[in-house]
Amino acid sequence: MRAAWITGKECLRERLCRPDQLPAPNPEAEMPAYMESFLSHLRLLVGVPFEYLVPDARLLPDESIRFFYLDRSWTDRLVDGTICVGKIGSREQAHHQAHAAPVAQQLDVAERSVRDLQRQRVTFDDLRSGGYAQGPTQTITGFLLRSAAVSGWPHMDVRAFDKALDETFTPADAAAHELVKLRLERLSPSVLLALFQGVPKLVWCEEPHHGVQFGVHETNGQFSVFLRGPAGTALGGSMQIPVRQSQHRVVAVAALRRKLIQQGGGQIAQQTGSAAMAIELLNPPFRQRFENVQNQPPLSGLGGFTADVAVASHVSQPDIQATVQGLVYEHP
Amino acid sequence: MSNPTTPPKGQMQLFDYLTVPLDPGSYRLHVESQVTHDPGQTATMTNDGYFDVVGPRFSLSPSDVAGTYPPRNGHGPFSDSLAQVVLKRRALPWERKLDAARPGGPLPAPSGGNQLAPGYPRPWMTLLVFEEGEYTLLPGVPLDKVMPKANFVALGSPAGITCDAVEADASLVQSILPSLEELQLLAHVRWVNIEDRELTVEGSDGWFAVVVGSRVPSSGAKCRACLVSLEERWDLVKSDPPASTEPGQSGPIFVPIQFPDYQPPVQNQYRWVEQPPDYSQVQIIMAPPAKTRLVVLFSWQFTCEGPGSFRDLMKNLDIGMIGAVQDAGKPALTDTCHLPLMLGERSGEAETVLYRGPLVPFELARDTLGPYHGADQARRVTPETGVEDVSYAAAFEVGRLLAAADARLAQELMRWRRGSYRQAARADTLLAIQASLTLNMPATLAEQLQVSLPPILATAAMGRMVQGAGPVADRYGLKAAGQTVGMNPAAVKEAWGLASLLEAQAILGGDPGALGLEIAPVPQTPRPNVTIATVAADAAGLGVLVKARDRVITSTKAKLGG
Repeated sequence: MRAAWITGKECLRERLCRPDQLPAPNPEAEMPAYMESFLSHLRLLVGVPFEYLVPDARLLPDESIRFFYLDRSWTDRLVDGTICVGKIGSREQAHHQAHAAPVAQQLDVAERSVRDLQRQRVTFDDLRSGGYAQGPTQTITGFLLRSAAVSGWPHMDVRAFDKALDETFTPADAAAHELVKLRLERLSPSVLLALFQGVPKLVWCEEPHHGVQFGVHETNGQFSVFLRGPAGTALGGSMQIPVRQSQHRVVAVAALRRKLIQQGGGQIAQQTGSAAMAIELLNPPFRQRFENVQNQPPLSGLGGFTADVAVASHVSQPDIQATVQGLVYEHP
Repeated sequence: MSNPTTPPKGQMQLFDYLTVPLDPGSYRLHVESQVTHDPGQTATMTNDGYFDVVGPRFSLSPSDVAGTYPPRNGHGPFSDSLAQVVLKRRALPWERKLDAARPGGPLPAPSGGNQLAPGYPRPWMTLLVFEEGEYTLLPGVPLDKVMPKANFVALGSPAGITCDAVEADASLVQSILPSLEELQLLAHVRWVNIEDRELTVEGSDGWFAVVVGSRVPSSGAKCRACLVSLEERWDLVKSDPPASTEPGQSGPIFVPIQFPDYQPPVQNQYRWVEQPPDYSQVQIIMAPPAKTRLVVLFSWQFTCEGPGSFRDLMKNLDIGMIGAVQDAGKPALTDTCHLPLMLGERSGEAETVLYRGPLVPFELARDTLGPYHGADQARRVTPETGVEDVSYAAAFEVGRLLAAADARLAQELMRWRRGSYRQAARADTLLAIQASLTLNMPATLAEQLQVSLPPILATAAMGRMVQGAGPVADRYGLKAAGQTVGMNPAAVKEAWGLASLLEAQAILGGDPGALGLEIAPVPQTPRPNVTIATVAADAAGLGVLVKARDRVITSTKAKLGG
């Protein structure tokens, strides 16, 4: 009988002496897709019990937001523990030891696509064929929000920027400075977890968009509107709304118009009729800004307000009315 | 103002109102031609035609409604929203008249300054928001039962019309119904870009009429928004709105209730005297409250729920980095954000350990000591306090448990490892083979693992065999003999201190080749590879072969004697 070329003993010795014999990027050495997907989800704490994230309920009381950095060592240990399943002897250990670094590198890249995977925008096979986001590894930050706002407004718009944009930013500027959202998920009906790639200087949470609505702002039983210019841009001030004496939840529209004329100054839309009134009653999505203070992720809140939908006003004038009638004729 | 152009995406234009030159109604078209024929002879020819301009009057088809806010049957925090209904017919709110047939002329303009421009059209519909219990929805009511006689007559006494109506206390309707000027202010026209997903709806031309309600729904209330017709309802619409107020911070305002027939007794200034009320002066009138009915064109329900407005909730958030606690020391975190926990040690004792989750208030350097193969490897003891830090050990265990809970992952892990082992074993085999046989292999290991080994191995082995393998055997025992001390030139040289190996060989009487010289392999004649077709085409060679065969046959025949 012929002897084998190499015995099991020698093979193990090879594993231990030269563990890196097969470079990890080789198709033979790469992780199975399911495993890679599982581990990259795990890297972003998907599936980790909430008690491990917040070990004491008082660390995230009701109606609070807590910003954080993600401890990468912690998530590395998570991955180590996962790979540890089914590890029986020194052969598996040697294998893990050899592959740990390439696996970590691969997950650093793959974890950026988890959000797309979660939203089922891409499949893992698409990613495999070159769809990974490129770029250097960056710090991961994020926040936990426990608030009734999470359950009441389930599709809240959350964005983070590496620059403290002012109120009158341009969309291009915002797009250039927006940080990649790695994860945005409700952990429970009232707890929202967000993870960003990089350290934000500005985070905002915005009411979901429902088109153009009208509304007022209620504070302690008082209603107010924000003063707006003719193009719908917020002027920064607000004004209390007069209400009917007999029904405190009915806006006294005529009295409001007179008050706007008297106190609005020259900047607000000229109150000639219902179009100008509608502009003042516009209720665009509210946007809460959290801005950076010193070299920390955002700590303090600064309520800002920016009109999301620009509104052009055309108040009633004889010639425009004629034009509109002409349009009615042409397009019955 | 210039002609309006289509608003760009994301923008809209608002107009105060939009009127059409022909309001809905029945029209008579009277054509009159005067013809002159023969000097002085004229004839007048007339013809009458009738046509109707129709439009919604007592009900509105749901397809005419482009959208509502709050959404139909929606649940949500609408307690700071004004209800609105968006109509596809852009001129609808101004198509009919509010007070054209009012005896004594149209409703007078409101008193006071800052009036709207004269001739500002008066819409005939408004949006009323009722809360549950305030209203009754009456389907299929005859029109003359909905409004007073005078108003019915003003509508032209249309016969046989039934409509949906809403019934509510007259005082409530009065308190929420907009006044004349408010009606005008609560309806406008909107022009949007039809490409704009967020503003427009499918299949529209971008023009909409919008009617806004003025009542803010109460939190928690189940509401119904009714688009009601006010056509010729001058009995309800007032020129001047009821008194308005601006509530202060203190809370509800108590409006003094006036009892016209009851004067409260004057209190004694110095002494509080309990005096029974003088019932003789109080009239208790048991009468049902007066009700008002209105034609409902369209209505929908929604429920206000949720805790206040988004804005208030976000404004009042407690903001901080993770680890910030409202009550200092509860829980008692260390400055590194570790939380002391009690842990049942494996020896059975309770022990205080430190735990910190993956969320930390400061940036941490990544541990480069990994990978870790067991949770115990990741346990740490803090030098200052001697307390154990189990954070990373806990992370390791969570990962292990999560993986164990996922059967497919365990299988994939096994597959991953098995694949690696197989490839590693293959690589080792290749190395071992290459130690004895030179294989013609690609340069990198990754490529080497890809190639099919048997042909390469066979080629290399054959090459080696063809090359010859040295002396076949030591047929005469010369090699063995040469190893004996006296016959070995090297040993002789060493023993005798000779200068060179050649000298020793000369002494032993042998030339260098005498003892087991390696026989060089016979050089092979290089032959190109040929195919059977080439061989068959070689006529000369074939001829030689044929001749040789003939010769063999001939000699065989000769040997066999015949």
